[in-house]
Amino acid sequence: MSDNTLVNPNLEFIDEMVGLGADSLKKCFQCATCSVACPIAPENSPFPRKEMIAASWGLKDRLVSSADIWLCHECGDCSTLCPRGAQPGDVLSAIRSYAITEYAQPKKLAKMVTDKSKLPLLTIVPAVWFALMAIITMQFGGTMEKIFGAVGVHWVHHSDAAIAHARFISTWLVDFTFVPLATAAVVVFFLSLKRMVGDMHENAVAEGKTDKQDLDIKEFLKTIPGVLPKILKHKQFNECGENKARGTAHMMVLYGFVGCFIATAIAGSLLYIGGSAGPYSQINPLKWFGNLGGILIVLGAALMIKDRLSKDKSSAYKDWYLLSLVIGLGATGLLTEMARLAGSTFGTYLIYYIHLIMVFHLIAYLPFSKMAHFVYRIVGMTYAEYANRK
Amino acid sequence: MAKKYGVYICTGCGIGDVLNIDELGGVAEDEGHTVKSHECLCGKAGLELLNADVKDGVNTLAILGCSRRVNYDIFKWDNCLVDRASIREQVVWTMSREKYPAKGPEDDDYFVDNIQLAANDYMRMSLARLDKVELPVPFKLENQSNKILIIGGGITGMSAAIDAAKTGADVTIVEKSAKLGGWAAKMRKQTPQCEPYTDLMDPVANTTIAKLGEFSNISVKTNTVVARIAGQPGDFTVTLKTPGQEIPFDVPFPLTPEMKVDADGNELDAEAQTAKYKEYNVGREDILTLDPEGERFGAVVLAAGWRPAELTAEAYPHLSIGDPDVVTNAQFEEMAAAGKVVRPSDGKEAKNVVFIQSPGAGSDRDFEYAGSVTSLVALKQAKYVREDYEDGKAYIFYQHMRTPGFTEEFYKSMQQDNGIFMTKGDIASVTKDGKGFTVEANGTLLGDNLKVKADLVVLAAGMVPATVDDAVINLAYRQGPGFRDNDIFDGYADSNFICFPYETQRTGIYAAGAVRRSLTMEESIEDATGAALKAIQCLESVNRGVAVHPRSGDMTFPDFFFQRCTQCKRCTEECPFGALDDDEKGTPKLNPTRCRRCGTCMGACPERIIGFADYNVDSVGSQVKSIWVPCEDDYYEPPMRILGLICENDALPALDMAAMKKLGVNAEVRFIPVRCLGSVNVVWIKDALSQGMDGVFLLGCKHGDDYQCHFVKGSELADVRMKKIGDALASLALEEERVAQFEIAIDEADKLPEIVNAFVDQVVALGPNPFKGF
Repeated sequence: MSDNTLVNPNLEFIDEMVGLGADSLKKCFQCATCSVACPIAPENSPFPRKEMIAASWGLKDRLVSSADIWLCHECGDCSTLCPRGAQPGDVLSAIRSYAITEYAQPKKLAKMVTDKSKLPLLTIVPAVWFALMAIITMQFGGTMEKIFGAVGVHWVHHSDAAIAHARFISTWLVDFTFVPLATAAVVVFFLSLKRMVGDMHENAVAEGKTDKQDLDIKEFLKTIPGVLPKILKHKQFNECGENKARGTAHMMVLYGFVGCFIATAIAGSLLYIGGSAGPYSQINPLKWFGNLGGILIVLGAALMIKDRLSKDKSSAYKDWYLLSLVIGLGATGLLTEMARLAGSTFGTYLIYYIHLIMVFHLIAYLPFSKMAHFVYRIVGMTYAEYANRK
Repeated sequence: MAKKYGVYICTGCGIGDVLNIDELGGVAEDEGHTVKSHECLCGKAGLELLNADVKDGVNTLAILGCSRRVNYDIFKWDNCLVDRASIREQVVWTMSREKYPAKGPEDDDYFVDNIQLAANDYMRMSLARLDKVELPVPFKLENQSNKILIIGGGITGMSAAIDAAKTGADVTIVEKSAKLGGWAAKMRKQTPQCEPYTDLMDPVANTTIAKLGEFSNISVKTNTVVARIAGQPGDFTVTLKTPGQEIPFDVPFPLTPEMKVDADGNELDAEAQTAKYKEYNVGREDILTLDPEGERFGAVVLAAGWRPAELTAEAYPHLSIGDPDVVTNAQFEEMAAAGKVVRPSDGKEAKNVVFIQSPGAGSDRDFEYAGSVTSLVALKQAKYVREDYEDGKAYIFYQHMRTPGFTEEFYKSMQQDNGIFMTKGDIASVTKDGKGFTVEANGTLLGDNLKVKADLVVLAAGMVPATVDDAVINLAYRQGPGFRDNDIFDGYADSNFICFPYETQRTGIYAAGAVRRSLTMEESIEDATGAALKAIQCLESVNRGVAVHPRSGDMTFPDFFFQRCTQCKRCTEECPFGALDDDEKGTPKLNPTRCRRCGTCMGACPERIIGFADYNVDSVGSQVKSIWVPCEDDYYEPPMRILGLICENDALPALDMAAMKKLGVNAEVRFIPVRCLGSVNVVWIKDALSQGMDGVFLLGCKHGDDYQCHFVKGSELADVRMKKIGDALASLALEEERVAQFEIAIDEADKLPEIVNAFVDQVVALGPNPFKGF
């Protein structure tokens, strides 16, 4: 940044923010009720008042690089109390969404993920891909067996059960898809976060929000373990007055995902290291773990959807995209299992197919969607902790 | 009129419980009057009693009971003199028996019953006054004009003309420029003036101009200004001319104070002053010479409007004033009305425009004469930038964004525009940067230091009322052509816009629109209605020979006993309303319809030759003399007697309110209401002290720059006179502290007893008046 006192409002930024749900950003008249109301705003240079005027002035650079936007948990206390009907909570949410797009690479894909009209295209890609994988598995199983046999590994990855996912799409193919995708996501995150942490620090120094002069990455990383328990306990979520229920719902979804992630990781290890393939018995503890995770996800997401529908808060495409994906993931996961138990081969495979498309959405588009908040927020909160933001 | 007296005592409202009514009646009976008492004079039976007596020929009534500020519509009879002695408020409700006990069976004749003494005095004062007053005979003009002159053909003047014309009045608009409409017709758009107050609207001025044509009783004179307005309300003789012309009937100017003295600083005598005045106004007819060609009018609406303030580089060196691309809001409006917003220097598109509302440089002040209108104009003009360019950006830097009332909706609406950026801020500098500017501001809502690039900078020049540059009304009055001391209102033509909107210091001249206060178009239109109605009220009052304001309906007017006039000109000079002109010799000439009946002339006159039928030096003087001043021959410890001359506009209501709240005032004080402290003649104070009263105080309105005097100058003049009285007291070997003047506002009833009682304590400390008993 050259002279950061010279400002040049970015009209496109304002337009995009409005599209991201910040349609009230111009209503603010700077009374600072929001900053007073906010239960988690720091005392020095509190948010979201300054974010509101920076947003209405279209000052993109000041906003996307601010760690403060990641401290906000969108509890809505500020929006409820705003005397002008502005919704600072929604505005900050839009800024976060914009920041995710801004830092993600490639930018083109990032823009597609936040664009409603690109949803069919983003869905057709995995649909075609997995259709292809299904054809390979079901039509060319013998050929594949030969190819795999040549390098000394088994192609077949399923038990003797009549209905097994691997009979429809081989576990090998699923993992060949998702492992590289997940790796790519990690790389994208790494590149984005590297830039973002640098910007965050520069912003904090410029706005006097830190006592640190130079950014010490080692110290920064050491701060992470201290922040994680706070996040897992939803400590700041629970400080919110207006929206307590959302904290619980969010916690359910988070733990649901954590549960499913652990279950998937163990299942993967069992498969590739122990050689034990699914489907597992219903009394297998791993099964319980996965099922519980799925139920938590569905319930939590349902609660959040209900909350959004009952409130006159503005919900943008980014919000519905994520919530639909979350509830869809949980639901298709559970339904696949139920269909299998019910003995419907076609039902099982069809739902599993949809489930895989959704997982593709989750992993491939992760660094670009609202879902990425879980990474960015950890970094933002860690930075605030590291920077001694008070 | 042969006076036939009737004295009536109301015993209701607790009066009969506190006072010995027989003793009170005895005071009047001793003077040979018939006294009747009733337990409820304002009730049906009481009124029947009064009406029967009036029918029997009683025409001079002393009514002792409630304050004259209540039931004034009941105790009123045609062709009768009525005096209301306020023994309820000023005696019974003010003095409690706990503090001033009644005479008991064991008390001797020397017992002092303070409450009874007070009531007895109010009876005497009432009778003394009735003896000296007469029924007023109204002053009527022989040939009244009911035409209304409107100065200024802008939105206000046109609206006032239409409103007055609707009532059937003949109206003439004079407009100095060649076209009607004023500023209102020069705009691209105007701020909203109706629901929902969110969008810019097309200027209404053209519609209004068209509407004028519908009225045959409105005539319009463009390219015309007022050379002089001579005469008085109902009978103004107006000379009109084209702007810049010099004619014999241009208004003459009075001598300035510097011109009235010689080289040594001594005041010139009357003759020398007259000679100097003639020399100063050579080529101009005297104010008393009427233009035979002049047009007659009855009342005037002054709607002369405003001009944008001139902002100079000397006053604001940090704003790059003088650069062609730094313009005022008025210049910007002109440009926007003509076409797209461009940079004046090179005609290129101006997409980044900074509107500066407050000059900054470390100060929180706005530009002079700026206010809510300049705030609204900035919002409006910011929108022009957005209308002209899709990617245009308009910045507004303000210290105060004033959008009162419904205009807040307009603010909200403009704020919603993505390309309008607003912040409070202290402008540090506007510096040339290539072809544009960098505007730097401190203390903004976005952080302490902020810079933006601008193609064009617009400064919020305020609305300077026309009366700052010029008298405009050009009255042929001895006191001068314009409003006196208008500088205390920053030149706005206004005597007190909160209490008396539209009124000016000159009766019959009513100000409306931006000449009165910085107003929006909507407010100006509403203002025009008010001023038009005031003009009509004036004509309707003049027509019946009564005062217009604030003593609406008062039929009296000052009467001069010219044989004893010494031509000292004090009355002419001190009249707050310029009602008096004087001739070459200095003899005052009254213009009764200009008069507001405050009595300032009566207070000023050292010869005491000015008075009103029902209020004069003698009537009040007799009241003062009628107060019984007990001395050591009467009582072992005679009570003090202190006179309070109390302004009836604010102080008397405050006194009544203090009475209602039973706050208690010392019983040794006697109050006499006066029309205004300006009407207090010093002789009353001398009378009071020479008959042995121990102290005198004046209680009236606040004076100074933020005065509350209903007659503008009254309490201030009284203050000057009171300061001069010190010498006179010293010659009588009396302490200066025996005379004082206090200020009180109408809502300060709680303070009133403190003020009065503290003064009584001060007088008690001085001891009794040595003249007592002589």
